Amino acid sequence: MNFAETLKLALSAIWAHKLRSFLTLLGMIIGVTAFMVVLSLLQGFNTYVDEKIAGIGSNSFTVRRFSFEDFKDTDTAAAAQRRNKDLTFDEMEFIRERAQLIDKSGAKANPNTRSVERNGEVLQDVTIDGAEPVIGEIEKLDIAEGRYFSDSENNNSMRVAFIGSEIAKKLFPFGSAIGEEFTIQGIPYRVIGVQVEKGTIFGQPQDVFVQLPIKTYGANFGGLTRSRGLYFVATSKSDELFKDAVEEARTLIRIKRKLAFGEKDNFGILTPDAIAGLRDSILGPTFIVILAVPAIALLVGAIVIMNIMLVAVTERTKEIGIRKSLGARQSDILKQFLLESATLSAIGGIIGLVLAELLGFIISAFLLKTVIPWYAAVISIGVSAFVGALAGLFPAWKAARLDPIEALRAE
Amino acid sequence: MAKEEFLPSTKSVIAVPNALISMRNIWKTYQMGIEELHALQGVTFEVQKGEYLAIIGPSGSGKSTLMNLIGCLDTPSKGQYWINGNLVSAMTDDELAQIRNKEIGFVFQTFNLLARATALHNVELPLIYAGIGSSNRQERAKATLASVELGDRILHRPNELSGGQRQRVAIARALVNNPSILLADEPTGALDTKTSFEIMALFEKLHADGNTIILVTHEHDIAKRAHRVITIRDGEIEKDERIR
Repeated sequence: MNFAETLKLALSAIWAHKLRSFLTLLGMIIGVTAFMVVLSLLQGFNTYVDEKIAGIGSNSFTVRRFSFEDFKDTDTAAAAQRRNKDLTFDEMEFIRERAQLIDKSGAKANPNTRSVERNGEVLQDVTIDGAEPVIGEIEKLDIAEGRYFSDSENNNSMRVAFIGSEIAKKLFPFGSAIGEEFTIQGIPYRVIGVQVEKGTIFGQPQDVFVQLPIKTYGANFGGLTRSRGLYFVATSKSDELFKDAVEEARTLIRIKRKLAFGEKDNFGILTPDAIAGLRDSILGPTFIVILAVPAIALLVGAIVIMNIMLVAVTERTKEIGIRKSLGARQSDILKQFLLESATLSAIGGIIGLVLAELLGFIISAFLLKTVIPWYAAVISIGVSAFVGALAGLFPAWKAARLDPIEALRAE
Repeated sequence: MAKEEFLPSTKSVIAVPNALISMRNIWKTYQMGIEELHALQGVTFEVQKGEYLAIIGPSGSGKSTLMNLIGCLDTPSKGQYWINGNLVSAMTDDELAQIRNKEIGFVFQTFNLLARATALHNVELPLIYAGIGSSNRQERAKATLASVELGDRILHRPNELSGGQRQRVAIARALVNNPSILLADEPTGALDTKTSFEIMALFEKLHADGNTIILVTHEHDIAKRAHRVITIRDGEIEKDERIR
């Protein structure tokens, strides 16, 4: 009996008990769906982080008051709190004047949230930060219309703003925002540029921000310390020089701060590697736990399938007897039930995959863009078929070994 | 019992019987707890090609055991069974399955059709296990169904057919792979008198066409339609008579 023949038989047997087949498959469907959704979420998150890193450029890094390690535990955090100092424009200049391996570097100030207003239209909780004009080049900002700041605008603390598309849409619904004014805390700012729409990531709107020249930000919001502390963004001259560029920045700040040999850095440097490393150190263990849950669902699914196949063999004892009397060999019967079990399970895998794909659309719409890797789809169908075959092994073996005389006597 | 009795000795290989079926000193013993039950005790007979034989006997006589042996569903505890030149008594399960497929056409009392399958698919089954391709198979199954006058019912399921029609589907299934013998176990047991006559008439026609038929029954009226009757009692052949 060939494969196509056996497959047809398997499908018709599954179809003959539609409801039962579906109920049998629930465990398998839930397992595969959960597995795929989790995997696609992780994949989506990784892609997001990678894109973020790519957004600032893979050969860029930031210098901040604290490093990741400073938040390892409360004691180190407290010690870092005492030891580490805010970065200053002097240090920025010091780096710029002396650096050989750093291509571009610029200062930004940490953001605050404020209300933004125009003609009675008020937007709450808008992220406001400041940046040097060079940041536009370093972060490769996508500008929808207008332009980024110029040096003279920064040096003169002019009240100009680069804004997110959502702000532009809300405050200036009719016509272009460029050249128009809005106010923050009663002080007017003129829009000179609007960023391309970025959408929402992890429920975080990416288009609700106002960016000011860093000196304007410092002058109008109360100095660039504490919550508005400075940080530096820098790029290396090439990918090969990246590590050396990071070391150069570190050394220059240490010199400027007159740190003795062996003394700890009182600042932190964040590289894309460090960010990816942090991500992996958080997700690694979580990944295993999250995957264990669908694995258990899959196991339960397999047990249910084995159970239903045992029922099927008992129910169809007579059929097995008839087939054997007509010349079916043990291997024919074995193949028939194995393939039925594997097909049943694979159908569960396919349904699970489709469900996961649908859930993926919903998640993509509200949370973050998820991607089901094609290999995961192939593997999940393959694994569910394999699990089904495994679960069907014992029932199929039982069926194949039935004595034809006994089987024919069954009702 | 000695092991060599299962295997064809040099002597018996030389003596491959000319008869279609040759049973030589067949014993079948069942172990019931500590007791041994001898269902067959040294049965010996031959069946020639084209014979119409009835095996008759009361229940418990061993006639079902004999039928299972003839149908290659089981192997004897002792003795040699040859069918069409094959020594069945020494075969493995899979070899038996192939012999059943090639040499035997079963007709059962309760028809034993697959309830979910159409008449056509039921008749196709032996050809599927014979490894015959789809189009050739359908053609042969259709022709066989037509020969039992069911050409217009091929897509009906068993529950859409009358008892007589079901038995004719079963007969078509038995015939479709051109077996050496048609082995019928109480083929009219589940049918009314009128339908029984129709089925028996069909058997006579099949016999006239050259088929070898073995009929197992406990009804003398049915047995009388055959040309030779073997009577079994207590696991032995009581009578073996040619009545026509």
